[in-house]
This record gives sequence, C-alpha cells and structure tokens, in this order.
Amino acid sequence: MYIQIKDLCFRYGNSKMNTIRNFNLSVNQGQIVSILGESGSGKSTILRLLCGLETPSQGVISIGGKTVTDDRSFVLPEKRGIGMVFQDYALFPHMTVAENIQFGLKGFGRKAKKQRVEEVLDLVNMKDFSKRYPHELSGGQQQRIALARALAPKPSLLLLDEPFSNLDADLQIKIRSELRDIIKKTGITSIFVTHDREDSKAIADRIITMRDGSAYDWDSICTIKSEFPEEQPMTIS
Amino acid sequence: MKLFRKLPGYANIWSWLSLMIVVLILMPNITILLNFFTEKAENWGHIQEFILPDLLKNTSLLMVFTGVLSILIGTSLAWLVSAYDFPMKRFFKWALILPLAIPPYIAGYTYNGILNYTGVIQTTLRNQWGIEVDQKYFDILTLPGAVFIFTLFLFPYVYTITRAFLANQSASIVENARLLGRNAWEVYFRIVLPISRGAIVGGVSLVLLEVLNDYGLVQYFGVPTFSTAIFQTWFGMNDLTSAIKLSATLMFIVFGILILEKVLRGRKKYSYASAKVRPLTPVRLKGVKAWTAFSYAFVIFSLGFLIPFIQLVDWMFLTFDKIASPEFTSLLTNSLLVSFVGAAMIVVFAVIIANFARMHQSIVSKSAARVTILGYSIPGAVIAVGISTVFIQIDQWLFGFYDWVGMDPTLVLSTSLFMLISAYVIRFLAIGYNSIESGFDKVGHQFTEASRMLGMNVTQTFFKVDARMIRGSLISGFILAFIEILKELPLTLILRPFNFDTLSTKAFQYASDEQIHEASLASIIIVIISGIAIYIFHQVLEKEPN
Repeated sequence: MYIQIKDLCFRYGNSKMNTIRNFNLSVNQGQIVSILGESGSGKSTILRLLCGLETPSQGVISIGGKTVTDDRSFVLPEKRGIGMVFQDYALFPHMTVAENIQFGLKGFGRKAKKQRVEEVLDLVNMKDFSKRYPHELSGGQQQRIALARALAPKPSLLLLDEPFSNLDADLQIKIRSELRDIIKKTGITSIFVTHDREDSKAIADRIITMRDGSAYDWDSICTIKSEFPEEQPMTIS
Repeated sequence: MKLFRKLPGYANIWSWLSLMIVVLILMPNITILLNFFTEKAENWGHIQEFILPDLLKNTSLLMVFTGVLSILIGTSLAWLVSAYDFPMKRFFKWALILPLAIPPYIAGYTYNGILNYTGVIQTTLRNQWGIEVDQKYFDILTLPGAVFIFTLFLFPYVYTITRAFLANQSASIVENARLLGRNAWEVYFRIVLPISRGAIVGGVSLVLLEVLNDYGLVQYFGVPTFSTAIFQTWFGMNDLTSAIKLSATLMFIVFGILILEKVLRGRKKYSYASAKVRPLTPVRLKGVKAWTAFSYAFVIFSLGFLIPFIQLVDWMFLTFDKIASPEFTSLLTNSLLVSFVGAAMIVVFAVIIANFARMHQSIVSKSAARVTILGYSIPGAVIAVGISTVFIQIDQWLFGFYDWVGMDPTLVLSTSLFMLISAYVIRFLAIGYNSIESGFDKVGHQFTEASRMLGMNVTQTFFKVDARMIRGSLISGFILAFIEILKELPLTLILRPFNFDTLSTKAFQYASDEQIHEASLASIIIVIISGIAIYIFHQVLEKEPN
C-alpha cells in the first residue's frame, strides 16, 4: 500500500465531537481516489491531516512507506513533499505565473528551475502565460496554474480540494477530463475531495464516501469503474 | 501523546520570541500587583486616609461626566453624519476625528491661554469695549474645565466606532423603523442608541482609559488624580513603594472598566454574520434643519480643532524666531528618533505575536494575544512605575557584571533610552498588533498553507509570502504607533534619560512654566503630524475598495 491511514481521529479546538472518527484508508501508487461527501462530512479535513496542516489526536499516517505521523512523531507540512491544489487556488497575487511555479522548486539550479517551469506549463497547456499575474487569468486558467505549481516539485502525492467548485458548469465538464489526462500523464497518486458525484465518476479510479467523519462505504459505481477490482473494499467503521 | 505530535509545530523561533515578548510585557505589571500585597510603604497610611478619597472622587467625577458627554456628542454626530445629508457633511465626516490630533494637555493649556486675563478674549473685551469681566467665569483650570477638554478632544473615539457601526450595520433596521412610522427622534432613541450599544461601550471605554492615562491635563489644571498622585509620591515624597500601591489601585480600576465593558456589551452580538452589508442611505435635510445640523457639527469641530489650532498657529508666529534654535532641532530629532525606533520595534514584536497566534489556534496563543493588548489599557504612569522597578532590579543584578567589564557599577539600563523605548513598546503594542492582526485576517490562511505545501517553513513563508501580503497593515501599524509615541507624555516625562527632551515634554514644560506661547511650536508639530495621519487613514484609505 502506498498510502496508509489507520484509526485517524481529529477534533477542531472548539468542537465537542470528533470531526474525524477512526478513519481508515489505503491507496495504491498511481491511483486517483475521490473522497465524496456533503459539506461538513470531514472530507476536507482528511486532506489537511494528510498534508500536515492539522494535527490528528490519534492514528497513523504513512506515505510511500514513511510514517509522517503517529503517537510519537509528526512531520511538518513543508517536509512531507505533498502537492496540494487549494479550493480557491491560493496563487500568490504578488508573483507572476512563473514565479508562483518556481516558488516550490527549492534546491533546483537556475537552469533546472526554468526548465521545470516550462515543462509543467507545457503539461497544463499554459506555455504563453508565464509572465502574467494571477489576477490576469480566468478561473479555469488559474486552476491549471495551481495544478502546475503543485506538480512542479514532483510531489509524492497530489491532493485536490474541491477542484471544480469555483468554475462555471460548462467549464467544469471540459476541465474534468483534462484534469484526469494531466494527472494520468504524470502517474502521480492523487486524492481529491468533492461533493459532486459526477466529478467523482468522471475522474476517479476509486470513490470513497464520507459521512460524519468516517469513510463508510465503497460507492457501488466505483467497483465497476475501478482499475483495481481485486482490492478489498473499505471496512465499515 | 498528543504532545509529541504538537511539539514540532511549536518548535520554531516564533514561539520562543513570542514567549519572550509576553514575559517582557507581563513583568512590570506583575511586579506592581505583587508589591501591592507585600511591601510596606511609609506614607501609605497617610495617603489612604487623606489623599485617596480625593483621588477617587476626582477620578470618578472626571470619568462619569466625560463618559456621558462623549456619548452624547459622539453618538449624535455619528448618527447625523451617517443618516443625513447636510452642507459640508463629507468634510465633517473625517474632520470630526481631528480633535484626536490634539492631545488633551496641549488643548488644555491652549484653552487656558485663550481664556485667561492676557488671552485673546479678555484683551479684546477690555481694549475694544472696555469690559472687565469677573475672572471666575473665565477660569478653566477646574474639574469642569478638565471635563470640557477631555470631552471635546476624546469624543471622536465614540464617534468613529459608532459611525462605522451605523454606516454598515443598521440600514435594514433603521429603514424598517421608518417604514413603521417612527419619526427621526424616536428612531434615534429607540433604535439607534440600543443597537449601537456595543459600539458605544467600546468607544467610551477607550475614552475612559485615556482619561485615566492622562497626566498632563490634570496636572496643569490642578485636579489631583491617580497619575498626578503617582508622580507626587514617587518624585515629591521619594516613596516608590507608595507609588506602586497607588498604581496597583489604579490598575484595579482599569480592570473594573474592562470587566464592565465586557458585561455591558453582553452576549448579544448586534451585528450580522453575513458579509453582505448594505450602507445606510442618507436622507437629505433641507432649510433650517440642514443649517442646524451644519451648525452643530461646525461648533463641535471649531471647539475641538479649529479654534485651538488657529490659536497655536498664531502663537507659533509670535515666538518662532525665539524658539526655532539648534536646541529645538535636537528636540525634534529626539522625538522622531524615539518614535521611529519605538514604532519599528512595536511592528516587529506585533508581527511575531500575531503570526504565532494565527499559526496555533490554542489557549497559549490566545492568551499571548490578550497579554499583548493589555498594555494599552494600563495608564502610562503605572507602566512607568512598573518598568523602572524592573529595570532597577535588573541593574542591581548586573552590578557585578558592570564592575567586571570595568564600568562604574551604577544604574545603567534604568537611566537609558532603552527603558523608555521598552515602555513605549509595552504601552502601544496593541496598536500595532490590532492593525497587523486585521491584515492577517483579511489575507486568510490559504497563501501561507500553499507556501508550506510547496516546501517553505514558517519563517521562509513569512518573508516570502505573508510579509508581502500584509504590507499595508505593517505600514499603518507603524504610522499609528509612531503618532501615539510622538504625542505620549507621562511615560516620556518619567522615564526619559537626564536632559533628554522631546516635543511633548518640552511643550508641557513651557506650559507649566507659564510660557504658553513658547509651547506652541512643539505643539503644532505634534498636531500637524497627527492630523496628516488621521487624514490619510480616514479620508484616503476609506475611499479605496480594500
């Protein structure tokens, strides 16, 4: 298993109930997993726990064989090597597209940086936009840059938080398939969160449904769609 | 076991620095509170019996009357400006904040200079019409006189906060009340005042804290309050321990006000959670009504800014040649220097704590934030007593070290500018903090999180992303703190090194030595710099969408 989440629990400081209750999930390398759930189901929190922006109260997370958190340890988010596309993209408004993408390329030489920026811009079909500022781009373009920025440092895992929620309906359908192609081209393991069943169906290899802080079921469609039919379904917890 | 997970997040420079700053702020205050219960003071019995009742009486009278009058003037002007259109309203909207540019002690001696026997009013009456007036009608150096000055020059706190609230929050409620057939007065008393309670209480508690903080005005007017009594026992009777006990008593009064503020604001939140606010549409006044509204605003503006300002300018021209000397240049440099260094340190400290507080939404960080704001409620004289006690103690610990490095084992730190600037930081940190915190709030967490997901740690993220995005707040925090330090009197008066004068201490000295005219140049510089800052903040910044 590439990613293992065991008995994960989490509670926000001001709430009495656990937002995440004994959450379990394992993901194979290269798989695109969708976490489907209504707002408040805790699906975004799973992403924040995976990348280290929140600290779980209990449970173990390991990525690529390395334990990133358990009872005795916690790896800071900047050390986890995970890429994330935020719901509203969070492109730095004071940097150009190229500068945004370069931002994550720590330890690259100048030439290597430039080359990598060109590569990922090419990947998302935005080659001509490197000098633009984020506010000069449309919503769909911003999203592609956010994706390019997350992919540039070659992360071990890509997380996408509601990637389509800020797009117009017709744009959404077009970008869905595009997004799946890009991710598949890089072969990166990805987890994305959505409240839209259609999004999940269009992109994911596998769909997890969340309710009240636990992954409670395989979605039935997903068994048909899954590229990994041999895998055991989730235990109900 | 959660601790092991939490530790890596806390183990960075921001946490350590925040801890240090919190200790720095708490030390003087805790020293005062501890000494209140332990140390015996020689004069305390005497003070308790003969002085304290007077202090309590004067302080309560000043607070009650200034409080009530500021509410009356502040809310009525706020309502007038938000709900009605009348001649020059757009000007009054920000000009009514200008009285804040004139510190009460400057206003006090200016008014005394206008009203006394040699002042412009009495000389005109005498020389033009030969009228000799009874001096008692022109004596402003009384408790009611102090209330008059405090009210006129502090009411803008109530005015600004209430106006901001009314402009953004009240539209639908007020319009509904009108539709239900209520006339203007009914709307004001039955709707506007009750719904703005939170804003009014917030504004008036700032006014009261300023009254407690004041030293210059009450000293000049001869109205003994806690600040003057602390000076008197400390420097007049040389009894620091009694001064500490007085300071502690004053601190309890401050805590009382803060608690009262919390209680009065109550649990009810008179604001909408929704971000979509509709501004109140003003009603156009016509004829007599329009000119009555104009006259009211104009009278308050004249009394609170125009008249003292013109008088100061007039005196400045009278005395300019005499006062503008190399010595004055050094005053100006001193003022600008301490204000600059102080404000810069405030911004740095405020950024450290604000960033720490937003990274960790925990009790620790929330208390750190609370402590940071604490200093602003504590009167200058109290902070001065606390901080010099602490610094003298530190000096005594360091005697051995001074000796060892070959210096005279005397008081080094407690006679240095370092102590004065530390005191500024403690007192005005809240100003920088509030500005920076609101900057962080506006930007949100997403950019910081995005940066950390791209491999930058907290410190790299701060310099590459956060600092750039809250630049505006950093600058405004700096300017606001700069102005406050420039105007500050009691702290500077007590804690400045020997022979170190600033614009405010010199102005106060001139005025105290009956050289009111000579005080005008220093005063006018303070007033103009503060006035420009107010103009920029409330006129220029308000027009920008963000």
